[in-house]
This record gives sequence, structure tokens and C-alpha cells, in this order.
Amino acid sequence: MTDYISAYSQSGQLFVPRLFQGFPEIKEALMSNKMQAAFMVAPMAIALRAQGVPVKIVYLGHRYGSAVVVRKDGPVKTFADLRGRIVAIPSRFSDERLILFKAAHDNGMDARALHMVEMAPPDVAGALAAGAIDAFSMGEPFPSQAEMAGFGRVLFHARQYWPDYISCVLVVRQDVIEHRPEAVQMLVDGIARSGLWLEDGTRREAHRVHASDFVGRYYYRQNPSLLRWALTKPIDRVMYEPLSPRRRDFELIVRLMRETGVLDHDIPFEEYVDTRFAEGASGMTPWKYEAGSNTAQ
Amino acid sequence: MRKLLFGLVTWVSAVTAAHMALNVNWSVIMNDRLPLDKRKLNVAYIPVT
Repeated sequence: MTDYISAYSQSGQLFVPRLFQGFPEIKEALMSNKMQAAFMVAPMAIALRAQGVPVKIVYLGHRYGSAVVVRKDGPVKTFADLRGRIVAIPSRFSDERLILFKAAHDNGMDARALHMVEMAPPDVAGALAAGAIDAFSMGEPFPSQAEMAGFGRVLFHARQYWPDYISCVLVVRQDVIEHRPEAVQMLVDGIARSGLWLEDGTRREAHRVHASDFVGRYYYRQNPSLLRWALTKPIDRVMYEPLSPRRRDFELIVRLMRETGVLDHDIPFEEYVDTRFAEGASGMTPWKYEAGSNTAQ
Repeated sequence: MRKLLFGLVTWVSAVTAAHMALNVNWSVIMNDRLPLDKRKLNVAYIPVT
């Protein structure tokens, strides 16, 4: 979204967006410096840093926007019904996996009673429709895809068990942070402005509908009506503000990662998050841009 | 024979031009040719919110 709007601004395109289909490929591209920055799930970013990969989280992509989905006509009616069933997750290092552990704990269950399988996000709705899995825990728009197509039902949204839930974060290579901080700040400022634009008071819904259109067509290569569903039903299904990385949110993720066996040692917040760019973007205002306009400010 | 060759070259040229216009991401290629300090950041994303 930031790329599309900024192209109409005086500064022009701020960065070069590159579409990937899975997190492992993004990880490799980041490590090999093919990509200098990436959006990825927070636990994966933390795990990379813990393994010594020189990257840092500088901002969030959004808040909420993940859900556990089951077949509408299937046998799973409550969380307890997931016992022994196959649940797809995007990665072992994902908040979508951690939310299952959190929900299991709150329901007096051991999440290990669920059979979790890793699956590329674009594949999960088809797998649920075909009966290859019993449920999936995934970010939007895949829960919306299953709902829209009529075969899926949201068992619960992540926020139900995890207030202030975060999943997608912006990660930047350490060498870029050190040598090109102005480029990183420009990127973060643009994303902050996009978030504010999507949450822009009375224009909120109109902006989200317009964003669904151009992001669906030109960036996600998905039907825009799918994104429209994800961004407006209800309007706070995915939130784009506040996007500054907060210590307590990440310390909870680290604790859950430790408890669920995907992180073998504690890692201090400062080691995997650099807050200076979020602080630099704190005075940003929404993009001044409306559908059909060919200028943005 | 010349007609056939001309048609073949025209067809290949048209397909090549269409491919380069529709499938090649020129902003990526041009960006990767710039000096390191002038390059825009390549930012990876997947089609999930």
C-alpha cells in the first residue's frame, strides 16, 4: 500500500516491493542480502536474531488479523473439539502457532494434543475445503477466503485470547540500519503514514475499500473483494495503528516461544528491536490521498 | 521462404516484447544496477496481512 501511494508523492517510490509465497524463502533472501528488509512473523524474526542473523525489527505491519478457522459443516464447534485434529500453521516460528498454545492453556488443554502442520499461507483455504486439514491458524485474508467461499467458519479471532496481538513485523538487515538509516526511516515513515491513512477517522472505510482494490490487483494478486472482506468485516478485524514495537508485546512472544520450545534462551528486547525509527515516525500524519487522485502528499 | 522467415522473426519479436513489457519487473532490474548507496531497499512481503 505504501508503495502504491508513495508513487504519487513528490518523493516517488520509497522502496522496491517483492512478492514471496512463504516465510522460509523470505528468510533465505534476507540472509543472502537479496532483500534488505522484509515483512515476516514476529517469532521468526526473533529466532533469526537469536541464531545470530544480523537483523532487527523496526516496526509492525499491523495488529490483530489472525484467526483460527474450521469447516462450517464440520465437527469442530469449540476449541476442545480440535483435540487430535490437524491444524495448519504458517510456520513453527509464528504467532499463529503461539495463539493455539495460548487458547489451549485458557481452555485447560495441552496444545500438543493438536496435530500442527506447517503450510504455506496461500494453500490453507484449499486444504480446508478439500478436507486435508481440520482447521488452520492464519493471518488475513485467508480466514476471509474460507468465510467468503462459504466452507469456513472463524472459530476465534486471535484478539479473543491475546489482547494487543501482533504478528507481522518489519525486519531490516543490521548493515542497512548502520549504513543507510535515512532509507530505513523513509520506509518506516511511509508505512506509518499508510497505517494512519487506513485508520483515518470518517474516511476509514472508504480508504480501506480503495486499498483493497489496488493491493489486491497489483500486489497480492488476489480478488480485491477478498481483501475488502478482510479489511471491513468488521472494520477492526485488522488494525494499522499503533505500529510502534512495544516491549511488553515482544517479551510476551519471547516467553511463549521459550515455553513452547522454539527458543532455547532468553533474548533482551534491545537485541532484536530497534525502536529509533518508530520514534522518528511518531509525528507522522496520514497520506493525503483519495481514490482516483494522481497526487499524494 | 523469406516470407516464412519474416513471419517467424516478427512473431518472436512480438512475443519477446510482450514478455518484457508484462513479465519483467524493470524497477527491480534498474534498482539493482544502481550504486549500493543510491539503491532503494528491496522489501519482501507475502500476500498475507
